[in-house]
Amino acid sequence: MVVEVKNLVKRYKELIALDHFNMEVEEGEILGLLGPNGCGKTTAINCILSLLNYDKGEIRVFGEKMTPNSYDIKREIGLVPQEVSVFENLTVIENTDYFCGLYIDDKNKRKQYVEEAIEFVGLKDYTKFYPKKLSGGLKRRLNIACGIAHKPKLIFLDEPTVAVDVQSRNFILNGIEKLNDEGSTIIYTTHYLEEAERLCKRIIIMDKGRGLVSGTNEELKSMISTSEKIVVGFTEIEDETVQNMKNILHVMDIEKAGEDYIIKFENGFNNLANLMNFIEENQLVYTKLQSQLPTLNDVFLELTGKELRD
Amino acid sequence: MKNLIRNIIYQGKNLLRDAGFSFWVMLYPLILAMFFNIAFSGMMDIELTNIDVGIVDGNPIEQVLEEIEFINIHKITDEEVIEKLDNEEIHGFIDEDLNLTVKKSGINQTIIKEIIEQIKQMEKLNRPIENYDFEANYIVDRNQKANSIIVVFFSLIAMFSTYSINAGISTVSLTQANLSNIGVRVNSTPLKKKNFLLAGVIVALFLNLLANGVLLLFVKYVLKIDLLKNIKYSIILIIIGNLFGVSLGMFIGASNKKSMNTKILIGVASTLFLSFLSGMMGPWMKDVIDEHIPILARINPISIISNNLYRINILESTKTVGEGIMILFSYCGVLILLSYMFLRRKSYDSL
Repeated sequence: MVVEVKNLVKRYKELIALDHFNMEVEEGEILGLLGPNGCGKTTAINCILSLLNYDKGEIRVFGEKMTPNSYDIKREIGLVPQEVSVFENLTVIENTDYFCGLYIDDKNKRKQYVEEAIEFVGLKDYTKFYPKKLSGGLKRRLNIACGIAHKPKLIFLDEPTVAVDVQSRNFILNGIEKLNDEGSTIIYTTHYLEEAERLCKRIIIMDKGRGLVSGTNEELKSMISTSEKIVVGFTEIEDETVQNMKNILHVMDIEKAGEDYIIKFENGFNNLANLMNFIEENQLVYTKLQSQLPTLNDVFLELTGKELRD
Repeated sequence: MKNLIRNIIYQGKNLLRDAGFSFWVMLYPLILAMFFNIAFSGMMDIELTNIDVGIVDGNPIEQVLEEIEFINIHKITDEEVIEKLDNEEIHGFIDEDLNLTVKKSGINQTIIKEIIEQIKQMEKLNRPIENYDFEANYIVDRNQKANSIIVVFFSLIAMFSTYSINAGISTVSLTQANLSNIGVRVNSTPLKKKNFLLAGVIVALFLNLLANGVLLLFVKYVLKIDLLKNIKYSIILIIIGNLFGVSLGMFIGASNKKSMNTKILIGVASTLFLSFLSGMMGPWMKDVIDEHIPILARINPISIISNNLYRINILESTKTVGEGIMILFSYCGVLILLSYMFLRRKSYDSL
């Protein structure tokens, strides 16, 4: 196990930021911490890195207890903090070299690593630029380069795509997949569910400092009662017919959303075919018919009663 | 060691390229020195010529006044006094009892008053007035006035020697995860905090000393004011001033969670206030402190530096240098100790 967190409790006076939080990260995986802003993702990372005191619990990294003096463990870790954390008056190459040099003493090896990191994040044409001259997306890439240049075994990426353009976001996500392919274990925090779905082999959904559920993408989706949603729009439909629709096999609930109806189905197959039969039998004319598989947002909604982006 | 040198180089580059730092530490001292030189140059260049003095015919000191080269005697009647003073034809009027009447105060009026005082004293001592060299004595007086202005420049140098306070604040901020984003990153690496801090202190001292050197060269070669006669002790005092500045900066930086700008403001305001008390805004303040609260001059770090710079370079006395150095070292020790107590925390309650 690369990281083990047991019963972690962190309080800020009256506020409980982490409430008996548990986490296990296996070697080579990308673990996603998914949850809304303020749910405790960054606090969890800062506690694991021993930057923050905590009230209760146990943290082990690479099998050893993590303390502020665990310099050998820190040598194997890379951090990409949520805020861009670079020297404003050092160039791209100087920043990357400075932070890489805190881990790598050998000059030639460091030079090679720095060049690779800059190429990896696509900043080769900007090596002499100061951060203030870079766009938000490019700054984020520099932030990543400074955190991964020393080729760490374990990388913490704390919301690395916040406030970046689509192009940079895709670049960053591709890069993270590549880092994982090269053998790095990654802990990735985000409140963007698409990112978690795309990248993470395992996901912990967090809210109010607690880990609500954890599992693979499929496992999480299978935990909720809704397995399929079909959105359908009719030219005309009577209330009685809508009530009759509830008798279709596996239908759990029907919601009106504007002019459309969202029909939620329990686990089961042939939901769309069954609905089509009903439409034919009742001679209904539909303007829209769209099948949606559940998303992590549905999982979050069912677990907490609120949208992930609330 | 290699890591320390790398840290010094990169922290040095980062600080030196900071526009705010370059202005306040490198350029601002030169601007202020130039401004002070312009503002006080009038006081430094008093010319003793053409002081118009009114007397009535038969005044007992008429002959004495005639001997003084820079005095022009105007014989007037008692009725003409007010008119002549109003028209600024005379700077002052001396009556037969050696009372002085003036319309306004100024250097020329002060000199006339001083001459009358000198004559009165000579009379009391029954010494021949003819032997008295008034001009020579006023040249001495003028030098003393010039020396008062030099106090201002020594206070200025003392203040800028403590300007390492800014770099001290900045270094501490970069070291602490609860004070800066860089601090978060630095604390997650295997770099020991004390190494980062040591590099920052070395950079702060080096760059501020460099700025102090530029200021001294500017004062000597551009403003043509030769301040330092005793180089050895002057350099020791300036170095300790720098050390005090860094220590105070570290303390201000570590002791609270105010923003960086607020901390810099606190640092600048403290040094400016201490400099004001030491006579930087005008030598009169130093006189007031020396007369009413002499202990303040002995414990004010800027006063310690500026007074000792004055004594060793103008009065050629090193009598109080040892005591001053000891007090400054004590301040540094206490401030570093207090800063250490705040900085030794390795994990934080909140970031």
